[in-house]
Amino acid sequence: MQRFHWIATSCAVAVLFSFGQRAGAEDGNPAGQVDFAREVQPILAKRCYKCHGSGEAEGGLRLHTREAAVADLDSGEVAVVPGKARASAMVHRISAEDENDRMPPEGKPLSDEEIAVIRRWIDQGAQWGKHWAFTKVQRPAEPKVSDAKWVSNPIDTFVFSGLDNANLKPAPPAGKVELLRRAYYDVIGLPPTPEEVDAFLADESPDAFEKVVDRLLDSPHYGEKWARHWLDLVRYAETNGYERDNPKDNVWKYRDYIIQALNDDKPYDDFVIDQLAGDEREQATAESITATGFYRLGLWDDEPVDREQAYYDGLDDVVVTSTQAFLGLTVGCARCHDHKLDPIPQTDYYRMMAFFHNLQHGNTMRNVATEEEKKKHAERVAQHGAELEALRKQIAAVEDRIHETFSNPEKEDAKDKVVRERMIAQRRGKVLSKDDLRDYLALKQQEQRMARTVLAPLDKALAAQEKGDRGPETFVLGRGSAHAKGEKVEPGFPEIISDGNAEVPEQGRNGSSLRRMTLAKWIVSPENPMTARVMVNRIWQFHFGRGLVRTSSDFGYQGTPPTHPELLDWLASEFIARDWSMKSMHKLMMMSSTYQMSTQPNEAALAKDPTNDLLWRFDMRRLTAEEIRDSILVAGGTFNPKMFGPNIFPPLPQEILATASRPGNGWGKSSPEESARRSIYIRIKRSLRHPMLVGFDAPDTDSSCAVRVSTTVPTQALSMINSKFMNEQAGILAKRLLRERPGELDAQAAHAIRLTTSRTPGDDEVKADVAFIQSLQNDEGLSTEEALRMYCLVVLNTNEFIYLQ
Amino acid sequence: MTHQPRDTFCGRTRREFIWQAGAGFTALPLVSMLAGDGFLDSQAVAADGTSSYTNPLAPKAPHFAPKAKSVIFLFMYGGPSHIDTFDYKPKMYGMDGKTVEVKTFGRGGRKNGGRIVEPKWKFKQYGECGKWVSELFPNVATCVDDIAFLQSMTADSPIHGSAMLMMNSGKIISGAPALGSWVTYGLGSVNENLPGFVVMLDKTGGPISGAKNWSSGYMPASYQGVLMRSVGTPILDLKPPQGMSDAVQRKVLDRLLAKNREHQLKQPDNSDLEARISSYELAYKMQQHAPEAVDFSSEDERTKKLYGLDQPRTQDFARKCILARRLVERGVRFIQVYSGGNHNDHNWDAHGDLEKNHNFHAGNTDRPIAGLLKDLKQRGMLDETLVVWGGEFGRQPTAEYAKGTGRDHNSFGFTMWMAGGGIKGGITVGTTDELGSAAVEKPYHVKNLHATILQQLGLDPNKLSYFYGGLDQKLVGVEHVEPIADVT
Repeated sequence: MQRFHWIATSCAVAVLFSFGQRAGAEDGNPAGQVDFAREVQPILAKRCYKCHGSGEAEGGLRLHTREAAVADLDSGEVAVVPGKARASAMVHRISAEDENDRMPPEGKPLSDEEIAVIRRWIDQGAQWGKHWAFTKVQRPAEPKVSDAKWVSNPIDTFVFSGLDNANLKPAPPAGKVELLRRAYYDVIGLPPTPEEVDAFLADESPDAFEKVVDRLLDSPHYGEKWARHWLDLVRYAETNGYERDNPKDNVWKYRDYIIQALNDDKPYDDFVIDQLAGDEREQATAESITATGFYRLGLWDDEPVDREQAYYDGLDDVVVTSTQAFLGLTVGCARCHDHKLDPIPQTDYYRMMAFFHNLQHGNTMRNVATEEEKKKHAERVAQHGAELEALRKQIAAVEDRIHETFSNPEKEDAKDKVVRERMIAQRRGKVLSKDDLRDYLALKQQEQRMARTVLAPLDKALAAQEKGDRGPETFVLGRGSAHAKGEKVEPGFPEIISDGNAEVPEQGRNGSSLRRMTLAKWIVSPENPMTARVMVNRIWQFHFGRGLVRTSSDFGYQGTPPTHPELLDWLASEFIARDWSMKSMHKLMMMSSTYQMSTQPNEAALAKDPTNDLLWRFDMRRLTAEEIRDSILVAGGTFNPKMFGPNIFPPLPQEILATASRPGNGWGKSSPEESARRSIYIRIKRSLRHPMLVGFDAPDTDSSCAVRVSTTVPTQALSMINSKFMNEQAGILAKRLLRERPGELDAQAAHAIRLTTSRTPGDDEVKADVAFIQSLQNDEGLSTEEALRMYCLVVLNTNEFIYLQ
Repeated sequence: MTHQPRDTFCGRTRREFIWQAGAGFTALPLVSMLAGDGFLDSQAVAADGTSSYTNPLAPKAPHFAPKAKSVIFLFMYGGPSHIDTFDYKPKMYGMDGKTVEVKTFGRGGRKNGGRIVEPKWKFKQYGECGKWVSELFPNVATCVDDIAFLQSMTADSPIHGSAMLMMNSGKIISGAPALGSWVTYGLGSVNENLPGFVVMLDKTGGPISGAKNWSSGYMPASYQGVLMRSVGTPILDLKPPQGMSDAVQRKVLDRLLAKNREHQLKQPDNSDLEARISSYELAYKMQQHAPEAVDFSSEDERTKKLYGLDQPRTQDFARKCILARRLVERGVRFIQVYSGGNHNDHNWDAHGDLEKNHNFHAGNTDRPIAGLLKDLKQRGMLDETLVVWGGEFGRQPTAEYAKGTGRDHNSFGFTMWMAGGGIKGGITVGTTDELGSAAVEKPYHVKNLHATILQQLGLDPNKLSYFYGGLDQKLVGVEHVEPIADVT
């Protein structure tokens, strides 16, 4: 325990200094030109902007622009005197000995290194530069490297040169089984079968791994795995939340759209346009309209306390989610006031909101049927109507006959429809012959049946729907309140990453303003500095466990600078050059030597770069919640690969169902076969989450999640050992072992290990496992099957099963 | 256990620390780098891969010396009527059926007047403080000298869904962490065998929005409330399944440990693996010790009687209150006990027959609540245990429908009370108008209540923050909120 304690502490300390140090260490020239964007801006942002940023100006000082920083202050001082650090008040204040004079007032003083950077920067003229993420992507040249052998593709040149500068060596390549498992889980989220492992081990051709990567990228399971990443980002859930937490009908079609789009390798620019404005495409299709379900995934309070405020809260959800997901910007922070840290004024928030302002609120559904389907549907409706009409005529004729027999006063009474009906019912037995009566009753029955018949509705999807061809006027809302309308604004892009206003068509079409299309086109324009960087960084994150920019939805001042800025830009430009093909980027990354390194530790590297920022090895990772559940189903052999369609409802423990205000309400019942489908198909009910998925850190769905946390807590262990699901699954795996390796305990144990780790175990390991099973039989009196079941529970709980190398 | 000053991390502010750790990351679970000596300190790297990861539940030192160590929140779900319980409105008697002009806002929308339903119970003065309490709570009434009544509470919503979220998480919009999550995040849990944040539900079901009421929102799931039952297996999956004897389970865990140790040889530096190994041993310990909390055999008859465990009517809530006290004794930080569940008259939501509804729910809870306060006091625990009573809002002075006594929701003014944990007893702060329709004197918002609770626990409500979505999120929101100074 003590040892690990030490590691924890040392990591923390090392992290503290790693960023600061590297800037100096890498250029190897402490007196060299200071890079404002990478070295100075982060210091200003993290230590100064809270009080002296675009939003605040304590003592009249703002440090967000050069103009403001060099201006005379009320006190007569000048914070930054270009070329003269000694004359700059800022330098005096940050290096003051007296705590009362020293800036910043909170926390530790700036480090000597940080102060030195500021001094040098001012002495060099205090040049202002744009924040790294807000400048256009420039494709950097690939660095020349000293060991060309290690380089499999350009990615490696960037990584290797970073390692070389720090005198570090990359880890050796991963073992074949490790690499195969890594690739399978990364691409399809499922383990390889023992046969697939054998085939890969037997394939000694140089392109053996490439063939695997190609095959995996072609697998339909790829879309299921990567859709889950995307669903985290767009806060995908299948109910509205709040009191009723009602289901969002057909919301699964959005999920299916994502899976299919990924499997089709739909270019990312199209993928973005579909979701933001698929309904505004000139040739909108069922698919592109379904994609705009993006707008309908969030919370929706059907009984808001303040309807107008709730309407703006709904728009806020869209602004926040789309700027984080597509642009890596926290524009949402500027809803109530100018962003405290990033250069995003409040007007930018409302200009951005204006793009969405014409959207209808609530769960709007749109027809996504094809013309053919519509025609057929209309025919069906017409035919049904005609048949019903004919029936009713026949009935009326008979009833008229009965009516004829009424006396005049009776006819007067019968003017009331209800009375007439009752009188006819009383009289019909007398007026009609037996046969006529039988026919009449049959007709009535048929009529009632037909009237009740519900024709299958046309195919509908949750989708964006605007209020008309012209968008409404948009106003800045004081402190974000719907009741404090201020200055009027036009739709526009954030100032910091665009030049001027958006050109929205005067007139939209088909009931839509085309504002969202304008926004979508700007987002995917190759000129946009954020989009490609943000997305390649996400792809990197989901392959390597962490993005080159750790804060993958925040590329602003508060975000962490990239560990490999040139690599990030190279990848971004490559992504655009490859026509935004995600599959192509997956392959590029996976074919690098960087991806194929082992996870093995190395003392020198651990000491120098304990958090592996320089990528001297591959990082281990725990399987995600969905991967854990899916892998357990695969191990037992009952996994059902059926794709798409409405949600499944695997059984939940009574204790969980009891937490609902209507216990059990809103959770259906799926057959065991359906319940054994992939976790992505499990109903995501905001107020009733699957305990195992939440237990292993499936994110909350009320807002966008860019990086999942990975916690280890004892309640996970309790459920992995004691839960009904785990014990059932262990039993299923035991039965499989008995079926596939009948009679031989050692073969059964070896098979279990292969099924859960892909590895062929050594004899000693099998022997020890067999001894364990036998002791359960001999000492604890368990039956063969029960003992084997307990053993299966062990293998399904091992770290080797849950962690990837 | 060593307690470091909580307001700094290695001498830095939290904000700065996050910066220096290079982790301005959108869902950073970083709490305290040095806190506690719990087993999970060995988790070296958090999900972002850069910041050091400690057991999210490891005990942490507060910002300043706390007055309370634990909170028991008795949640009267549905909204008890303040003017029929603790907010005495003598002038309303005799006004029954009269039409008055009064602005109300409930599930029936905004109204400008209505038919008065006079308070349906008689009030009497109790204690040295002379507090007026209605017949609904004759037992709680005997504790008034230990209670601070907040008679001018206000909330942002008179609609259950959003109002529940407000009382539990400070916001009417779903997705924010619950009060109990904030407390666990700020202080950790001192008992490794029990969760830090426990929720006990009514037998008729959860409140509306279910788990959202104890969700950890954008924080890691480790901070969410754990449901506990006062009968049977207290925690989900705590009990091994049938057929798995302790001896078998021990062997299973030992074999697992051996296999994990072997696997660990390949990656000796990865402390996540060690953490996971330890988590099984801790789970085993939990399994041994947690059931003891719900085993009342050591409780004497007098105590059981005090809570009303001997009466069928009060048995259920009594059991939960006793369990709450036992959990406090075992170091659980935040316990929420629901009176009422499901919908309509299964909780305090008296839209129809006010008398029937409130007689039922008060009758089920009065004795257990008084028992809890008295028991805590006689054991010397009340000083360090903050008891909070109330619903998500109160009820209106006027009738909801043309006939009957039902009252609609009222978030303009209602009563909550606090006792123990450094709260002054025998006082009443704030008032509502003559009809109890709205707070008039010293109106307090739910945020002030939350700030007070955090303060009593030694946490600065305006400093306890969690970095998410580009902001330092706080339970009380971004603007400064004052705790209720009158009661502390």
